[in-house]
Amino acid sequence: MTHDFAPKLARVLTEYCRPVKPGDYVLVMASVAAEPIVEALWEEIVKKGGNPSLSMSFPSLGEIFMKHATEAQFDFIDPALWTQFDKADVLYSIRAPTNTKRFSRVSAARMARQHAGQRPLFERYLARCEHDDIRWNITGWPTQAGAQDAEMGLLEYTEFMYRAAGLDRTDPVAYWQEFQERQAVLVEWLKGKQHAEIHGPGIEMSFDFGGRSWVSCHGIKNFPDGEIFTAPVEDSVNGTVAFSFPTVYGGRELNGVRLVFERGCVVEAHAEKGDDYLQSQLQMDEGAKRLGEFAIGTNMGIQEFTREILFDEKIGGTIHMALGEQADGAGGVNKSVIHWDMVHNMKDGGEVIIDGELFYRGGEFMV
Amino acid sequence: MFEDFAPKLAAVLTDYSAPIQKGEIGLIRTTTAAQPMIEALAEAILRRGGHPIITAESPNTENLLMKLGDGDQIGFLNPLHMTAIEKADVMYSIIAPFNTKHGSRVDPAKQARRQEAYRSLWAVYHQRVGAQELRWNVALWPTDAAAQEAEMSLLDYTEFVYRACALDQADPVAYWKGFQAQQERLVGWLKGKKCAVVKGPGIDMTFEFAGRPWASAHGNVNMPDGEIYCAPLDESVNGRVEFSFPTVYNGREVNGVQLTFKDGLVIEDCAAKGEDFLRSRLAMDAGARRLGEFAIGNNPFIQQFTGETLFDEKIGGTIHMALGNAYTDVEGTNQSAIHWDMVHGMRDGGEIWIDGELFYRSGEFMV
Repeated sequence: MTHDFAPKLARVLTEYCRPVKPGDYVLVMASVAAEPIVEALWEEIVKKGGNPSLSMSFPSLGEIFMKHATEAQFDFIDPALWTQFDKADVLYSIRAPTNTKRFSRVSAARMARQHAGQRPLFERYLARCEHDDIRWNITGWPTQAGAQDAEMGLLEYTEFMYRAAGLDRTDPVAYWQEFQERQAVLVEWLKGKQHAEIHGPGIEMSFDFGGRSWVSCHGIKNFPDGEIFTAPVEDSVNGTVAFSFPTVYGGRELNGVRLVFERGCVVEAHAEKGDDYLQSQLQMDEGAKRLGEFAIGTNMGIQEFTREILFDEKIGGTIHMALGEQADGAGGVNKSVIHWDMVHNMKDGGEVIIDGELFYRGGEFMV
Repeated sequence: MFEDFAPKLAAVLTDYSAPIQKGEIGLIRTTTAAQPMIEALAEAILRRGGHPIITAESPNTENLLMKLGDGDQIGFLNPLHMTAIEKADVMYSIIAPFNTKHGSRVDPAKQARRQEAYRSLWAVYHQRVGAQELRWNVALWPTDAAAQEAEMSLLDYTEFVYRACALDQADPVAYWKGFQAQQERLVGWLKGKKCAVVKGPGIDMTFEFAGRPWASAHGNVNMPDGEIYCAPLDESVNGRVEFSFPTVYNGREVNGVQLTFKDGLVIEDCAAKGEDFLRSRLAMDAGARRLGEFAIGNNPFIQQFTGETLFDEKIGGTIHMALGNAYTDVEGTNQSAIHWDMVHGMRDGGEIWIDGELFYRSGEFMV
């Protein structure tokens, strides 16, 4: 059924997503639960002349650290990790959780403290991303923990991911190349336009994107993929959204998030479940209250909510927006330590109107 | 931190809960995730002169059967399982899930067929238990899946289970003996009484138990433990309950269950989530619409909902009731292929009146 998952995924990652060239220093980050894909990827990297390096995480280590770390330990940056982020030409990051709720009981303050301590590493990484010095990709590997969050058995979840990645196609690389061409048409149409209005059940918003670009995501940085996004002009966002889907961030699940924007800033925020955490994240820094991204999910192979943002933000027929750090490549300038994606369903009549023209309705592009 | 968990739990199970004698067969039923516990329990059984038999499920085999099996395969009763139930003197079931939602997508009709196939096995089991030929205990080994369900890390969850079993007490066996004495006093007080009225937020019910005893569960058949329970007279249950906690059965979460009873039968039922599944279970057989059990949870170390019935039904300050099969040790007569426990919080003013006397209020016994 899906026995060829690992070798197929490894080929798409190393030939289409982020091709490995001879001499590349290639960093693979994964958890021990991802062993089959780590091995398959290793084989492809070596065969293509790359130099693979592995950063493996083990269950419970992060949690032991969060429980006992002192101020000095929070500020310590692992020199081995620094070297890898500083030198890697390609980074394959594989999400393979062993427990998606492992940080649920860690205080938001300590989570924030950990992020703040690692900020220099993150900055270095972002700087290298900006110049394409590090060609990164985030993908997933099916685990029982991921399946449990999606309320599926592992077999069903594995098949879901296999299809979401187009691995059931005769030639997955060709499939993603065609996908890329279709999205290029949409992004081209949006070029030079200025203003977006979003109407529909649970959403009434507007923002400007004049001078910013829309970017097509077709499997280069995320895999599977499928979205087009922009960075709204920072003080132009107005309106209200009551997200139809739950959202998971920092290992916590929040439900019924409602945000009101005025001149770009969140002026009202409430969550039915997890409100304290939402408020603490909004207080992180000035940029946390602004949108860093607005996007439309376009992967029609993903039609189910799984609580894994890598998939959820790509659901064909949804939009999502991220509080915090601007999404790279669209010309946004918002800065924050958070980048929190929240997803809203548009299938039941949601519309996106661009400069007065109907661009999208109920999950379909109208142009 | 809890390196002594497995040997300590194995000692409590084989010395206090369900002591095993020289020459007896001790059946260990679990999954491969419980490996440390399997080994500790096998060692404890061997040291006491018994014969350990192990049946440990692999993560995906049940789902493969449900996916690929035809009616005959799903309806096949494994003779190995039957032999084990026929021959064992003690059965230690160790819950150790890989994925608490593994059954979410399985066709309820197939699940029902599987349960039907095992009905004869459970009949042998109940007959042997009733004849005191087979002693049994259900315990749990902490896994990431169970921890994730409880929204905890594995370390936090392990500590929670350790404390719930009183393994942090200087002498756990002595602790459970003392606990037993306290509960037996309550059960003694209830002897000869007839009628219960249960009221409070979300509940307004009455039932009779005249001629049937209450029993104390203090670690013999469950570990951890802590409840007193009875089997209501089959036609005496009247009233309404809206369960304050979610419930997980056959790997599916069902939320917001409301039941209305008239003369012992469920005449109205609904659920906010999982209603189809609830109705398919209620339609299993005639006994599925009746209460097999009414109980009061009484473990002081369990004060949080974890999504695992073994713990949730013991939360100090809750009541629970089970649809379906009744226990013969409290002279219950209802028969069904299901036994589905549902839990309701009583701490916010819930009361139990016995023959007109206030017996329990907000989690405290008043007698």
